[in-house]
Amino acid sequence: MAGLENILNRYRVIICAGSGGVGKTTTAASIAVRAALSGKRTIVMTIDPAKRLANALGVQTLGNVGSAVIDDSIPGGKLSAMMLDQKGAWDELVERHAPSPEIRDRILQNNFYQHLSQSFAGSQEYMAIEQLCELHASKAYDLIVVDTPPTRHALDFLEAPQRIADFLDRRVVKWFVRPYFSASWATMRFVNRTVGFLFRRLEDATGISALVEVSEFFTAMSGLFEGFEPRVRRVYQLLRSSETAFVLVASPDEQVLMEAEYFCRQVHELNMSLRAVVFNRVHREMAGGRQGLQADEVTGLMAQLLGDPGLAQRFADNFDRYETLGRGDGLRMEAFRRQLRKDVPVVEVPNFNSDVHSLAGLQAMHPFLFAA
Amino acid sequence: MKAVRDSLFERRLLVVAGKGGVGKTTIACALGLVAAQLGKRTLIAEVDGAGRAADLLGATAGEIGKARPVRDSLSVMSVDGSAALAEYLELIVPVKRVLQAVLSSRVYQYFVAAAPGLKELMTIGKIWYEAERIDETTGERSWDIVILDAPATGHSLQYLGMPHAAHEVFRSGLVGRDSQRLVDLLTDPQRTAINLVTTAEEMPVNETLEMYQRIREELHMPLGWLFVNRTHHAPFADTELERLEQRLATLHDARARAVAQEVLNRAREEAGWTAINRTYVERLAREVEMPSVDVPFSFAEEFGAEQVRAIARTIEGAVAATARRGKKHGRA
Repeated sequence: MAGLENILNRYRVIICAGSGGVGKTTTAASIAVRAALSGKRTIVMTIDPAKRLANALGVQTLGNVGSAVIDDSIPGGKLSAMMLDQKGAWDELVERHAPSPEIRDRILQNNFYQHLSQSFAGSQEYMAIEQLCELHASKAYDLIVVDTPPTRHALDFLEAPQRIADFLDRRVVKWFVRPYFSASWATMRFVNRTVGFLFRRLEDATGISALVEVSEFFTAMSGLFEGFEPRVRRVYQLLRSSETAFVLVASPDEQVLMEAEYFCRQVHELNMSLRAVVFNRVHREMAGGRQGLQADEVTGLMAQLLGDPGLAQRFADNFDRYETLGRGDGLRMEAFRRQLRKDVPVVEVPNFNSDVHSLAGLQAMHPFLFAA
Repeated sequence: MKAVRDSLFERRLLVVAGKGGVGKTTIACALGLVAAQLGKRTLIAEVDGAGRAADLLGATAGEIGKARPVRDSLSVMSVDGSAALAEYLELIVPVKRVLQAVLSSRVYQYFVAAAPGLKELMTIGKIWYEAERIDETTGERSWDIVILDAPATGHSLQYLGMPHAAHEVFRSGLVGRDSQRLVDLLTDPQRTAINLVTTAEEMPVNETLEMYQRIREELHMPLGWLFVNRTHHAPFADTELERLEQRLATLHDARARAVAQEVLNRAREEAGWTAINRTYVERLAREVEMPSVDVPFSFAEEFGAEQVRAIARTIEGAVAATARRGKKHGRA
């Protein structure tokens, strides 16, 4: 098994997905460094790297433009990195897609938009995917490695474009974009009792002025819908294309694995292809079952070696605790593997007890990710 | 003068927030056990958590939006925004037939799908409802304490900030008034405490610090306790590690040597984590003004109800010790 080596060579887009806190950013960066070392023009799109990792990649400033990583260990110009701006994703989406400066300003200055835009679902995920499509179309890179935003559910990332499309769906929007006091509303209320009831309630509940603002907001947003659906279709085409590989990043934690199983099923149902699984922060039992030694024999060995029974006991106990962890991790990963297709490689990265924040640190992961 | 211990468990709403994967649900469950132990009628409310809380307490999850008792004085509930909205409408639309017509209409479904922040607002609304709810038969509060297991960091702030945003948009009208009530609860130090959970590592600590700032300076919500989860405390010194390394070389038996080498590796691993944790615990102590509880890493084959109970005992001990210190120094 060559670990992830084949994946580097076969695909042009690698998307690292997984639930929050499992080491996606580090894994994505490490994969990118490997590709660059092998001579590929590579870019890693990262979302929220630890400060020192961002420094190592040269992306300490926010910005949606890729910049070359300058480091003696990387062949010149081969590795670029970009860090997506988390905060202004909707503003940027509006800036980018508003059909005119007037409409753009109307949206950005709308009271409703200003207070609630942060909670509009999926803008960050969508922007990441749109950015990916642009990089892919530019053909400036041989390989694009994508780190996905930290969501509780790995799947949020895949569903974001569809959710935004739903949000901007004409059928939904048409209810909101009609001038609020127009004749059509009156007719609608008259014809449809449910609608009439709902909107009378809405007026009571929200106050009429607020409803007018909501209506204005949707009217202004409707300019963004032109061409949005084709864009979303293109995004899904790329995610499903034979050039794209998903790498699931997980840890042997029970809850993470439950999410991971769900993710695997969904990726399959969405006709996207899971090409590898990376387990981070893995503890393993000692190979060969501690050489047949019982726990008390380990203690004895330590006592004999150190001549200090108290210290021997502490060392032996610590060893035993890590063996327990390793046993649990092993069992959980084994159960997970059984549900996975046989041709999907699974690699394990041990629980490094130092934060990975340098290009050298990222390379330290390579023997595990790309083990021959 | 009131001790810190009493004041935390005398609040009605304990929010548990933090970065994904740091153990929020575990801490929420352990807090629930402590509160129930103190005789408080306690509800643990889990937001889109798929029944993990019930699982950790050795019970099976119940229906969404319904409390499920897991032991004396302790219940858990999964909260979902859309379900909470339907429940809310039930309260303001008394006629069943009309309500059914509304809920099943396409317009309503589109509205719920499209309305930004509605899900978050309704989730917090449901929590408020449970925190303030009076049991009709007894005339008492249904719960003394509601513990909210909030979604991961970015999302937590989104949830907590939503009532204020909604109030700003809908100043007049029912939503505006109801939102104001939620803001009142969330910003009232007598009733609410926002507790943070983190591990002592770079990324979670960075996020915790950011969240801490925003809760204080933007949301103006009262902070409770900081739980530093999964800390390592290596039971040996560096000199002891060196001693083992030196002696190791004297072993001739290959089998014994392999085992001893592993013993050393694991000891180093533990020492390494201990050092990392110490760095970040110190940083938290410098930059966060919250009483904190150190929750040691649990070396278990499988993490479950037994481990949660152990953490509850740790929390109980730490909170009690701080209360004693608080009394001595005359701090409230």
